[in-house]
Amino acid sequence: MDARLRRVNKEITDCKNDKSSNIRIDLIDSSPFHLKGSFPGPQDTPYEGGHFEVDIVIPDSYPFQPVKMKFITKVYHPNVSSASGAICLDILKDAWSPVLTLKSTLISLQSLLCSPEPNDPQDAEVAKHYTTSKRSFDETARYWTQIYAGGPGSRGKVESKEPARDEIAIAGLEKAHVDQFEALGFERSKVIDVLRRLNYRGANVAKIAEDKIVEELLK
Amino acid sequence: MSSDYDYSDDDGDYYDEDDMMSTQDDGSAPSDEEMDMDAFNDDFVPARNVRKVYEVEHESLSQGAIEKLMLADIEHISGIFGVDVGTASLLLRHMNWNKERLIEKYMDNASAVSVAAGISLPSRSPSSSSAAAPIRSQSSSTRSGAAPLGRPSRQRGKQNSRSPTPALTHGGGRSQPPKAEPFVCPICFDDSQTSFLGLSCDHLFCSGCWNAYATTKIREEGEHMIRCMAEDCSLVVPDATVQNILGDDTATWERFQELLVRHFVGSNPNLKYCPYPSCTYTVSCSAAAHKSALTTMVPTVRCGAAVTPPHKFCFGCPIEADHRPVICGVAKMWLKKCRDDSETANWIKSNTKECSKCQSTIEKNGGCNHMTCKKCKHEFCWVCMGPWSEHGTAWYSCNRFDEKEGVDARDAQSKSRASLERYLHYYNRWANHEQSAKLSIELYSKTEKKMEEMQITSELTWIEVQFMKKAVDEVEKCRTTLKWTYAMAYYMDKGNEKELFEDNQRDLEQAVEDLSELLESQIDAEAIPALRQKVTDKTVYVSKRNEIMLEDTAKGFLDGRWGWNVTVDGFE
Repeated sequence: MDARLRRVNKEITDCKNDKSSNIRIDLIDSSPFHLKGSFPGPQDTPYEGGHFEVDIVIPDSYPFQPVKMKFITKVYHPNVSSASGAICLDILKDAWSPVLTLKSTLISLQSLLCSPEPNDPQDAEVAKHYTTSKRSFDETARYWTQIYAGGPGSRGKVESKEPARDEIAIAGLEKAHVDQFEALGFERSKVIDVLRRLNYRGANVAKIAEDKIVEELLK
Repeated sequence: MSSDYDYSDDDGDYYDEDDMMSTQDDGSAPSDEEMDMDAFNDDFVPARNVRKVYEVEHESLSQGAIEKLMLADIEHISGIFGVDVGTASLLLRHMNWNKERLIEKYMDNASAVSVAAGISLPSRSPSSSSAAAPIRSQSSSTRSGAAPLGRPSRQRGKQNSRSPTPALTHGGGRSQPPKAEPFVCPICFDDSQTSFLGLSCDHLFCSGCWNAYATTKIREEGEHMIRCMAEDCSLVVPDATVQNILGDDTATWERFQELLVRHFVGSNPNLKYCPYPSCTYTVSCSAAAHKSALTTMVPTVRCGAAVTPPHKFCFGCPIEADHRPVICGVAKMWLKKCRDDSETANWIKSNTKECSKCQSTIEKNGGCNHMTCKKCKHEFCWVCMGPWSEHGTAWYSCNRFDEKEGVDARDAQSKSRASLERYLHYYNRWANHEQSAKLSIELYSKTEKKMEEMQITSELTWIEVQFMKKAVDEVEKCRTTLKWTYAMAYYMDKGNEKELFEDNQRDLEQAVEDLSELLESQIDAEAIPALRQKVTDKTVYVSKRNEIMLEDTAKGFLDGRWGWNVTVDGFE
């Protein structure tokens, strides 16, 4: 049997048998080389309670070349692209070792959620948010977990059962700020876009002149 | 160059060159001599009797010679440190083949260097410290090192490179795999494998996985430092083990060796690959190894490939094969300027004028002659450039060309145009010579036809009509020189030196144009002997003028005689 197939099969079976790690690997279609991994968000993080799914593609030269992984679930995290789910993690690139497995890689992803590396970001805007105001970042990440990863809140902790997606919270902004510029006659989506781009959060609010924002809005 | 003519060097010269080589190499290993001999046996670049001031001393080395140089370095280090060649190779690669730094660091802290180079494990327990000590028990040289590919020493060396355990452990012979259950390779999970290998870190994997791993690393990633497959293990697989792992796959092993050579050449500032496609030669030029040398010389070199035209290239930069007499920094600056500016400048020249007040460049894109500068709001007439206020009611026709204001405005305008004109002056001549040099290929075929004609119409033999070919070659060479003199003149400071330079340039240009014209002229049967005489004379003269040009410029660089009107890289 093909060594790659044997190894992948073994990895999938091992993962099924291991109930303690809470990591799951499922087939997406009939191919054993295109999989879906999933794990719960780590405790004591904004991702707690969420269920995160990862798209896994196993290259031809696996395990001698790293697997290709990206988040299917949208994640608000400095090392994960908020748009594409692409992940910036050394073991998925040059630090890969053939000894690593799908399970160990997924565990690494899980721990990446615990310890972001904002200095080596995949998503610069999110990383800026993280470094400007950790508290505000956590709030946004928690909100993302809630609406995209089925985190707590969607199970009734927050007011409604199926929370209306609050674009302002998704962007990690303050409602008051958005309202302020919306009142000047700009479109809400545009205001959100500009404020997010300028990182209008925390201590930055005092630093960014309103004129500059209006200028950006007029562009 | 003129080497075609002084090809017949005696053997004495040949050995001189050899000696030069080995002194440059610290004269370490006795193998140096044979090595160099070998290098030149297949293809030898004709050595020149007297090196001209505008030529640079260089050596062409074949692939084999480079490998030998590499081996000499390895053996040198192996001798100094008392380590085997496999370890020496890894140490050198880790230090990018910088022997001096390696020696310094290794003498300072041998074990730290060994750990960093992936030769030994970091010592966790005091017992295994000093594990780097490369002089190790020879217990393990049992493996049948067949020593293919002519590297017996390396093969043998690797055996001893490891700490007491053999570098490579065969599962069978070791107590490593648990006795009770069969050993399962942690990568392929195959428990039917019987042959396991591991480095001194005792990370065992089956040989099939090692093979697949090494192949991917070498083939797909072009990696010559192959680390142990275990996570976070930094041990590097020694060369002999790599060969062993690859087994029958000689193509990958050869690729691996090629990667080593590439790394060696890439790390060594004295060496450069010949950039011509599929040329396997390397040129060694220690004079141009350092960037600072490039301000005083133009290291045009040629490799040893026996082809016509020879593979000429600049050792200092990749921009053009031969940009003598101008140095790399200036040539690069000029090309960049031309790429950015020439078309734009031409367009600006023909389509715009400058505002006579603020000198902004203005394009008139329609409408009447009454212009208002967008920037300074100055109103003027497009035709005479004078202020509009003086045009009275004659708004749409300008008949005021001689008014004082108009004349002044045009003067100011022409001043601001001067720099553009100046650039275009040099650029057009530069481009013209480049074009002509290219056309010389065409000229060449024409000349060939003429030479055939001549053989028929006159008594001349084939060898006697070669004067035409020589003349064409000379013209092309000189045009290349001329082309670059214009780039150089553009950046030169005004003064006596520049005037002398331009005198030389003018003389050469005149001579080249004369000869060119002669080559293009119609051939008369009875005039052939006269033509031959004329062309030969001119060729000699042109070649002389070219030499003067090159020599004087090169000397000027050496003496630091040339001043620049811009800051050139490398000059204060």
